[in-house]
Amino acid sequence: MAVTLEVTAVGKDFLIPVIDSVSFSVEAGEFVCLLGPNGCGKTTLLRIVGGLEPPTRGRVLLGGEPVSGSGRHTRKVGVVFQEDRLLPWMTLRENVELVCKPLGLAAAARRATADRYLRLAGLAGFEGYHPLRVSGGMRQRAAIARALAIEPDLLLMDEPFGALDAQNRRIMQAEVRRIWRETGRTILFVTHAIDEAVAIGTTLIMLTARPARIRELVRNDGRIERGKLTDDLNTMIMEEVERQQGVVGPL
Amino acid sequence: MSARHWRHLPTLGVAAVIVAGWVLLSWRYGAYVLPSPLAVARGFGDIVASGEIWRHTAASLGRILVGFGGAVVVALLAGLASFLWRTARGVIHDFLSVLNSTSVFVWIVISIIWFGLSNWAPIFTTFMITLPVVASNIVQGVEHVDRRLLEMGDVYRLSGRQKFTAIVVPSTLPYLVAGMKVGFGLALKVSVVAEIFGVTSGIGYVMNYSREILATQMVFVWALVMVLIMTATDTLLFDAVSRRLDRWR
Repeated sequence: MAVTLEVTAVGKDFLIPVIDSVSFSVEAGEFVCLLGPNGCGKTTLLRIVGGLEPPTRGRVLLGGEPVSGSGRHTRKVGVVFQEDRLLPWMTLRENVELVCKPLGLAAAARRATADRYLRLAGLAGFEGYHPLRVSGGMRQRAAIARALAIEPDLLLMDEPFGALDAQNRRIMQAEVRRIWRETGRTILFVTHAIDEAVAIGTTLIMLTARPARIRELVRNDGRIERGKLTDDLNTMIMEEVERQQGVVGPL
Repeated sequence: MSARHWRHLPTLGVAAVIVAGWVLLSWRYGAYVLPSPLAVARGFGDIVASGEIWRHTAASLGRILVGFGGAVVVALLAGLASFLWRTARGVIHDFLSVLNSTSVFVWIVISIIWFGLSNWAPIFTTFMITLPVVASNIVQGVEHVDRRLLEMGDVYRLSGRQKFTAIVVPSTLPYLVAGMKVGFGLALKVSVVAEIFGVTSGIGYVMNYSREILATQMVFVWALVMVLIMTATDTLLFDAVSRRLDRWR
């Protein structure tokens, strides 16, 4: 079941403040894109939401329950990282089957689930291949299949297409959009590509330069024409990039 | 013949030159200092025919199996401990570097004092010398497990045991095999030295005995046996296992 996500005044300091204070809420079944300049804390925010990192301030509620920093939460969260993070010594099918084990599925059910989601990700016929024997795009699709196989309440994606070429990127965007329509999951998708966000997100959140705050939250529901939205967001991100570099000082 | 076989042709050429030089030197200095290749070949035929080769090889391999096998078991436990506890990792590191810098001779002398002239002396020496080699390989393997894969395991809530069998063991196995390959070679070399003292079987014993009865050609024969054992285990066992582990690459 897809659930709501509530991020309240979340902040994170490493040696310097990375995230100042970010609050937003996501309805069940929404497709949210997190945008912002490189190094502004998008990935950190995603890791906090996923419970991989504790916030310094604020809290995250997933379906009304707090997310702890140890990765031990009761809600199911699927994560697609920037890299595929598949186990190279296991076939694609075994990789997906592995994450079904903690769900308590029997071996036959695990196999059926793995095959179903691999097919959904367009990998029918490649179930028995090892990751290093297929292309980077197929590996990333297998990682998406793995994240979906646990039927997550929330799916987190951290620039999952960063390593792909333009053509594969476009194909994968359409695939993710289709999978989202078919499964109705709540998705939080980090990217720095404006056109990608406008193409697939229902809600777009633009973060400021470090330390991150929310600069703009836009509903991408067709009321604003896409070309104009893309232009506006491009102007914003340019300003933020300049600001971020201004903070660092001239090289 | 394939290109792979042709690659060894220069080696054979050099070997032919060495054998020719060997024949000349053996004429010049006599069979006691340097026996001729023919005498060595005849000696090898003799121990194969009499079955002596199997008796001494089995005795040496038996001791290696116990000493080196014990070292592998303890090394595996050290690897497990370093996976489970961060503090254990530091302690194991320090102990291994001490063991690593201890001479073979120290263990031979100590083992004779402790175990007298018995099988346990070469076994103990082999154990103490191979343990740091195998263990540091395994511990290094455990340390090099990709943290990003472990984090993936956390995301999908794999249990400690699931993470261990699915992630830690497969990424550590190549280190284990590499460590065992080096360790076994070392075990063979070291146990043979330790066999000079106090035992009445084994390759080391029979080599030293051959020297005492002035049968220098037999020293060469047994050296040849050692080379054959090493080559056979490397290609038939360790390299085969490595290839099998790498089949997903």
